[in-house]
Amino acid sequence: MIAIQTGDVDIGKLVNEAKQQGTGAIVVFDGIVRDDDIREMELEAYEEVALPELEKIASEAKKTYNLLSVDIIHRIGRLAVGENILIIVVSAGHRKQAYEGSRYIIETIKAGVPIWKKELTKDGGRWVPGEHQHGCGAGK
Amino acid sequence: MTVKIRFFARFRELLGTDIVVAVPKNKGLSDLVKDVASRNKEGYDAIFDEKGAFREFVILMQNGKRLETSDAPKVKVADGDEIAVFPPVAGG
Repeated sequence: MIAIQTGDVDIGKLVNEAKQQGTGAIVVFDGIVRDDDIREMELEAYEEVALPELEKIASEAKKTYNLLSVDIIHRIGRLAVGENILIIVVSAGHRKQAYEGSRYIIETIKAGVPIWKKELTKDGGRWVPGEHQHGCGAGK
Repeated sequence: MTVKIRFFARFRELLGTDIVVAVPKNKGLSDLVKDVASRNKEGYDAIFDEKGAFREFVILMQNGKRLETSDAPKVKVADGDEIAVFPPVAGG
């Protein structure tokens, strides 16, 4: 499942579905709204571009790290502290592939997928600066 | 012909989004973005520097494909194009 959506997902269900023949390891990455003295976080995406980029990242990760399955769910809209932002579930034959594949996916998303976060504070809001100034990652 | 401009994140807050503009043939992409951004000084200043060049962090897309901002002055827009203008991404 590759999706950009407002709603949350059942991570347990994704883990169960990721158990396929040959699975020896599943890695779950769950990015969460941190309590940085904020009220909420607002996320926005250029969905028509971001979704195909997530699909491409999943496909590249599968091929490169021999993953058996990849799920990426990126949430948008308003999220409260403690809510899930990004869930990545990967399954592989061995832990090394699963860890490395998961790491590749999150770092590639951060590098280039057109999604933005705004922290809403009691004084207003601030856009979270990107880690990669030119957004030169996926989809280039 | 018409072209749609989409701003995202801070640029969207300052300039709006999904702006459909009628443009003459052979309109340059940079000039088009400048025209639309000129509607709000703060929005224009967020995207362009004092010399009228794209700020180095600005990201451009033409029909979903990234475009170097340094190439933008030479690029012409075509009927039905979708131009996206946004700041560095911060997903994940």
